[in-house]
Amino acid sequence: MSAISLQGIVKRFGETEVCRDISLDIAKGEFMTLLGSSGCGKTTTLNMIAGLEHPTSGDILMDGARVNDLAPIARGIAMVFQNYALYPHMTVADNIGFSLRLKGMPRDEIARKVQPVAAALELSHVLGRFPAQLSGGQQQRVAIGRAIVREPKVFLFDEPFSNLDAALRLRMRGEVKELHGRLGVTSVFVTHDQEEAMSISDRIAVMRQGVIEQVGTPEEIYARPATTYVATFIGSPQVDVLAVERGSEGVRLGQVDIPLGEAARAALRRHDGAVDLAIRPEHVRLGDTGIASTVRLSQPIGYATIVTVDAPGGGMISVRVPGLVKLVPGEAVHMHLDPEQIMLFDRASGRRLATDPLVPEG
Amino acid sequence: MVRYVTSGATSVTERSLVGVGIVLFVLWNTAPLAWLVTSSLMHQQALTTTPPDFSPASFTLSNYTEVFNSAAQLGRGLLNSIIIAVGTTALSIVLGAPAAYALARLPLPGRDHLLLMVLAAQMFPAVVVVIPLFIAASKLGLIDTRISLILVYLTFNLPVVIWVLRGFFLGVPKGLERAAEVDGASTWQTFRLIVLPISLPALFAASVFAFIEAWNEFFFALIMTRQESQTVPLVISAFAGQYQTLFGQMMAAAAISIAPVVFLAILLRKTILSGFADGMLKG
Repeated sequence: MSAISLQGIVKRFGETEVCRDISLDIAKGEFMTLLGSSGCGKTTTLNMIAGLEHPTSGDILMDGARVNDLAPIARGIAMVFQNYALYPHMTVADNIGFSLRLKGMPRDEIARKVQPVAAALELSHVLGRFPAQLSGGQQQRVAIGRAIVREPKVFLFDEPFSNLDAALRLRMRGEVKELHGRLGVTSVFVTHDQEEAMSISDRIAVMRQGVIEQVGTPEEIYARPATTYVATFIGSPQVDVLAVERGSEGVRLGQVDIPLGEAARAALRRHDGAVDLAIRPEHVRLGDTGIASTVRLSQPIGYATIVTVDAPGGGMISVRVPGLVKLVPGEAVHMHLDPEQIMLFDRASGRRLATDPLVPEG
Repeated sequence: MVRYVTSGATSVTERSLVGVGIVLFVLWNTAPLAWLVTSSLMHQQALTTTPPDFSPASFTLSNYTEVFNSAAQLGRGLLNSIIIAVGTTALSIVLGAPAAYALARLPLPGRDHLLLMVLAAQMFPAVVVVIPLFIAASKLGLIDTRISLILVYLTFNLPVVIWVLRGFFLGVPKGLERAAEVDGASTWQTFRLIVLPISLPALFAASVFAFIEAWNEFFFALIMTRQESQTVPLVISAFAGQYQTLFGQMMAAAAISIAPVVFLAILLRKTILSGFADGMLKG
């Protein structure tokens, strides 16, 4: 039985349809991330799981029971908000213990419950301080402490790290992942940061314009994106989607034949209609042979260099070259696209042509 | 105040211009007060010659002693004013704050119309409502009672208090209230335990406003009271007699009457200013 099950959720605010037929099952103990750009409906979906918003139609089930009409407190959820939402007039201890106080728990028992939580989050020495006196990372941990202390069945995270600087974000990401490993509580995490989603999740639901484009493990989503949108949204630098023609042994990019792997060729034979090609930067090799091209831009990022080159027939392709290489704009290069790693998409629908049995053709 | 000026103005010229502006503003506001206090300390004779005689011999505390000795009215007036102003203030906040919160956050049908209606009570000129109010008070046997004035002042203060507080409540980050909801707080608990405590500066500001309005009000007090419930402004006006106006005593009484308001302003100045300056949106 799923810990959380969304069944045909539709949410409208007036005329605006924010969520359109969302169905998603989240297993007990799973770390599920809702990933998408702003306005895709991910936070609204999270708020509906929390009970802060109510679906226009569709059902929300928790442990098999319909919870549509239950208040947040009755759903056994705890939530960490984007701006922390700490109560500014309460000390750290009071912030963490607020939900227990509302339950009518005696003061000494609250203190007994708050202490181990604070200790686990390295907040013991700031329990008497007010939120404004804390660093961003500490505020974030108080928000997490407030969620943990209730021993909820489900954790909900609404872009919890978006206000933190890059280094701290990385650290908090690790802490949340570690926390999830330790507590094993079902978690739903909302973010627009694909790298964050990839690094922290058991599974990711990529959302776009109120629908789920694809649900899968980070590996599945990265290696076998269901649509061009997912392909471009996941991964940095972005994959480049190029229009191609059908050729004798595969596809033609401008005047150049691009060989395909066996699976892609089979998929192309089954398919009729125009197709697009996409390839990840790490699956393109620069060398002395292959497709002739010209360097447009070279961006060293330390462990690699991102080289942007002209694609035959217009457009560009990003190439990830290991290490630091010196390439100047205008320099002539040759590239080789790994045939097994080329992804083909139906141009009209944007859906990927299935090359393996895991992703049925849409 | 200086804090905001220096942080905003950069060049020396700008800063001195702002400084001059502030000095003029302060002079404009304090000159009448200074004159009030000065004249309350002068003999009638020295005060009424042209130009006034500012020699040391002109100064005296006799006006104050006279006011306290001759006018038992002032003591009663002060007591009435305090009870009425405090009562008005307390009721304005107790009734206004929940109303403001409901109008800010709850999905009430016809909320906007309700808000306009609340404001409409403010729009009638006093002369239009004074006769109906007088008749109502008279039928209820409330003429010359403190309750009648408290009720009248409430009708004028509540709308303002509701609008001021509603504006502030709208600015309270919704995330805080959502967090409280997730923590298991009812709407009332959210209001009482989260929203009210962080709105203290606004509550203070609204209270000071309500207090001063009730404290200084003259017109309704004149109509609705006879003797027993007369407030300070009425008592002061009594120093202007038909044949002679006792300027010194009048000013002394006025000085005494504004003392509580000035004291209140000084007392709450820090709270009000710091609250508005810092904001609470950091949370």
